[in-house]
Amino acid sequence: MNMKQLFPRGHVMGFIFSMVLTAVALGVVVYDLSFKTGMIVLLVTAFMQAGVQLVMFMHAGESEDKKAIYTNVYYALFIALVTIFGTLLTMIWGYQ
Amino acid sequence: MDYFDRFAVPHSSPMIVGSQIAIAVTVLAILVGVTYFKKWGYLWREWFTTVDHKRIGIMYILAALLMLFRGGADAILMRAQTAIPDNGLLDGQHYNEIFTTHGVVMILFMAMPFIIGLMNIVTPLQIGARDVAFPRLNAVSFWLFFWGAMLFNISFVVGGSPDAGWTAYFPLASVEFSESVGMNYYAIAIQIAGIGTLMTGINFIVTILKMRAPGMTLMKMPMFTWSILITNLIIVFAFPVLTVALALMTMDRLFGTNFFTMANGGSDMLWANLFWIWGHPEVYIVILPAFGIYSEIISTFARRNLYGYKSMVVSMVAISVLSFVVWAHHFFTMGHGAMVNGIFSITTMAIAVPTGIKIFNWLFTLWKGKIEFTVPMLYSLAFIPIFTIGGVTGVMLAMASADYQYHNTMFLVAHFHYVLIPGTVFAVLAGFTYWWPKIFNFQLSERIGKWAFWFIVVGFNVTFFPMFITGLDGQARRMYTYSEATGYGPLNLLSFVGALGLLIGFAFLVYNIYWSTRYAPRNVTSDPWNARSLEWATHSPVPEYNFAIVPEVDSSQAFWDSKNNGPALFKGKYKEIHMPNNSGVPFVLGIIFFVWGFAMVFSMWIFAIISTLGIFACMAHRSFEKDHGHHISVEEIEETEKKLRGANA
Amino acid sequence: MKIDNSLPLEYSTEENRLKILGFWIFLGAEIALFATLFATYFTLVNRTGNGPIGADIFEVTPVLIETILLLTSSFTIGLGINAMRHGSKNAMMVFFIITLALGAGFLGTEIFEFKHYVHIGAGLQVSAFTSILLTLLGTHGAHVTLGLFWGLFIVLQVKKRGLTPETTNKAFIYSLYWHFLDVVWIFIFSFVYLKGMM
Repeated sequence: MNMKQLFPRGHVMGFIFSMVLTAVALGVVVYDLSFKTGMIVLLVTAFMQAGVQLVMFMHAGESEDKKAIYTNVYYALFIALVTIFGTLLTMIWGYQ
Repeated sequence: MDYFDRFAVPHSSPMIVGSQIAIAVTVLAILVGVTYFKKWGYLWREWFTTVDHKRIGIMYILAALLMLFRGGADAILMRAQTAIPDNGLLDGQHYNEIFTTHGVVMILFMAMPFIIGLMNIVTPLQIGARDVAFPRLNAVSFWLFFWGAMLFNISFVVGGSPDAGWTAYFPLASVEFSESVGMNYYAIAIQIAGIGTLMTGINFIVTILKMRAPGMTLMKMPMFTWSILITNLIIVFAFPVLTVALALMTMDRLFGTNFFTMANGGSDMLWANLFWIWGHPEVYIVILPAFGIYSEIISTFARRNLYGYKSMVVSMVAISVLSFVVWAHHFFTMGHGAMVNGIFSITTMAIAVPTGIKIFNWLFTLWKGKIEFTVPMLYSLAFIPIFTIGGVTGVMLAMASADYQYHNTMFLVAHFHYVLIPGTVFAVLAGFTYWWPKIFNFQLSERIGKWAFWFIVVGFNVTFFPMFITGLDGQARRMYTYSEATGYGPLNLLSFVGALGLLIGFAFLVYNIYWSTRYAPRNVTSDPWNARSLEWATHSPVPEYNFAIVPEVDSSQAFWDSKNNGPALFKGKYKEIHMPNNSGVPFVLGIIFFVWGFAMVFSMWIFAIISTLGIFACMAHRSFEKDHGHHISVEEIEETEKKLRGANA
Repeated sequence: MKIDNSLPLEYSTEENRLKILGFWIFLGAEIALFATLFATYFTLVNRTGNGPIGADIFEVTPVLIETILLLTSSFTIGLGINAMRHGSKNAMMVFFIITLALGAGFLGTEIFEFKHYVHIGAGLQVSAFTSILLTLLGTHGAHVTLGLFWGLFIVLQVKKRGLTPETTNKAFIYSLYWHFLDVVWIFIFSFVYLKGMM
């Protein structure tokens, strides 16, 4: 195998991209941002990182079960958000 | 001797001593009996090591029946204690233990395994598959459930039962207020069984998505299979929440963490929150398969296609989503504001809509049908009105402001029994009777079955209807006694009489199994009910490989169509069949988990570490193992088919 | 066993395809599991009792080291699977071994970090916040530990048995697991550490 096969472009780009995203996320502690701005930056970078892993590295869309896999991931994401924000709603925000 | 003191039951009583002796004698009798009749080899080869979904299903159901009687004994004791005011049969502590174990056993070790048992037996047959996707994992699931259940059940004779209710609310469940090891048993035994259930969930989703017979698109699956798919989806996403909650509870109790404590920032209500994030989907996990069972039975015995197939599917999918967004209605009185209670009130009422749609679909299926009143059909017909009462009272409870009146009263107890008993218990009894001939090649006696049915249905209503009234009058649940002045006496006595009726009904059920096994005519056809879906297209009892030729289908009731001049199901010739090999590892893994759990319950760290290593050794063994299964040759298939066709002629 | 040669080895048999889909569904369950831990973390993060708050104890350097190690390992295992699909057993094993080494480095740093927390009075029992912090990190760490053993077993099997439908299937599923742990770490990095230090 030559270098091009060993280090395919997509993987290398994905890796560089994930490093850049990490650096951007790190910005929230380096610069003096408001809590709201900081959280938005973190949400955007974190979900983009997850997307990079899912699509570029985990090949979620490559097999005949693409539909089942994506349905599964979206359903899991829905449950995760409901669990997290629902808990915050009942345990913290709901008391105000 | 001090070392062994920890195993003593803290609040012993003659009843517990009696149970200890009885359990010891029974275990000994079983061991001696099996040895005497030289059955160890048979048990090991045919059952302990099996990966056959039908045998695993049978074992699930056997265990569930056993647990039904354990939980039933608790129930009778509760009703006996509250039958008259100021009764002294049980003291407060024992009453606490009994209502706790009753709840846990009935939900987790009776309803769940009964349903998982039926789904093991039926689902692969209904989709025309030869086994589940991961047969070995299926055996692991069963043995984890079984040994988890056994661990939970020994609590009342070794170390003390859990006593904080099946919901195990903190701070009651903390070490401070529940000093015995009882709640450790709760946290760890349910954890072990729960891991097994999670694996079942993954297994059946993959089975249903990937192993359907050619031609069976998702919208041509029988309704029971649909309900199982949705149920397992809920299992996969709800059980991890329980896993975490139980792990945090274990850490609070064993390692002094501060998740649910009253000091150092802990939050006791967080437990209630996490418990019900799992707990409410759990309710739908036990009810959706029941809906599937009723759909099959009603369609079969009304001799009509299921009305509104699409709306049935859509409403189940809707329920799978909604079931995750209603949990806070279990603690409306916790003290959060009107906004939170309002949101969860609305979602809760919304979930009644898809459920209502299903009720109407069943009614329209019955409409103008040629109804045949068999035992499974009787349960299904009784289910509709009784469950509706449960559903309507549920909507009453869903109104947050009104809930302040109902909360923690017998009204709530009546409500959830009116949902769970006609919903789940009637369904599994109906399904059990319905699919029995498929498994054993003879039918249960209809005559004795009808006696059981009437005692159970009437006994159920006599037991639980009075609780609506006493609950509205203010009788609190989980109180071990009450004074005569409250006036709850007569209705509670009536409840006790009803409970005796239920007991007689279940005795008839057992007698029916005994009588039919001995005397019922053998060699019924492979399709005794004139049914509609694929499981009836193969022989009874079902051969190891299920179908000699994989069926080809083009409707949700392919078998019915093929009987009525539709296209043939089985085309082509016999081919060699590939089947998985048996394995003893799942059974051994289950026992190691039992030892691990026991060691954790009593904080015996050396045993805990050794058994943890044992668990990892089993996993490593699986990683390195080479197991390609075995093949059944064409000659063997021909021989088996010839033999079975004779049996079903 | 029917082998479909038009597909990569890890997808080539029906059993393999079942296992890959099954593992994806398992990962769905894992998402729910970590979501519950995060929900608990967010509920308890300000309930610090008499213990320290996050900003007192978090330090950028070890966290950044852990993040870079894990992100790089996710990259190398991706290269390993790529090499596997090109049929190069040796390149695949080299990438897998690099991945495991990076994983071990991550774990070593995390153990060091834990010892530091206990040392400065942020042990497991101190407050609700420290309990859930160490439990969340510990659950992820336990997953990585299990993954190191699992990965080692797979490297040994590939070495002994070569690239077969079975071994490639295991390696591919393992790579899914490893990427997933990386995703979980990203969320821990962002919403535990960075949010805590903000």
